[in-house]
Amino acid sequence: MKRFFKWAACALAVLAVAAFVMLSFMAGSPKDVYGMVRYALPHIHRGNLKVGSDAPDVRLVALDGENRFHIRERTGARPLVIVFGSFT
Amino acid sequence: MVDVEQIYNDYKEHADFLTVYVREAHPADEWQMKSNVKDDVCYAQPKSLEQRVAIARDFTTRFKYPLPFGIDDMSNLADAAYSAWPERLYIIDETGRIAYRGGMGPFNYKPAEVRDWLASRYGVVKHETAPAPASAQPTTAPAAAAEPKK
Repeated sequence: MKRFFKWAACALAVLAVAAFVMLSFMAGSPKDVYGMVRYALPHIHRGNLKVGSDAPDVRLVALDGENRFHIRERTGARPLVIVFGSFT
Repeated sequence: MVDVEQIYNDYKEHADFLTVYVREAHPADEWQMKSNVKDDVCYAQPKSLEQRVAIARDFTTRFKYPLPFGIDDMSNLADAAYSAWPERLYIIDETGRIAYRGGMGPFNYKPAEVRDWLASRYGVVKHETAPAPASAQPTTAPAAAAEPKK
């Protein structure tokens, strides 16, 4: 039994190293794997919105930093294409 | 963003557009990429709305970004409601329902799908005039409030 656990631990360690190497290759570097796990994974969520769902209304800040407007104010007359993103 | 700008130029007579700026994907104090340094896009994750607005202004100024623009405030409600981070595309139809929901960027961020949706409604539109090429150099010094750092 003790031997089984020893082998299982070794297999897990090999798998973990292999996964880390593979992720490093995919992400670019080991630092990117850390970044992905530490900063990206906590913010990734699929949500429940589907085609046909009511579009949530959210209040946004205008570029002047002062005025506010709602997404709903921009919908109704024509389709609204929304592009979510950031600078970096 | 060039693809999106071209779609905007082609279909702005038929549809409305809105860019919503959400929390940074690769800030200098988190998961910064080599490409951020190469492209001189180095900002810390904003800690205040003023900092977020300053970065948004740097972006729109530097790239002469033509789309209407809104900013998610520090409660990140738009990001939460639309699962927006790091980037995602939507189309809301005239009845206020989701007509298209793109995949999570960067791998499933596909402006071509938005173009196809618009083309299926309004026909293929491809204007000859491309949007002005994005400048590689900032046109203004980064705002102090944004605390850019490398």
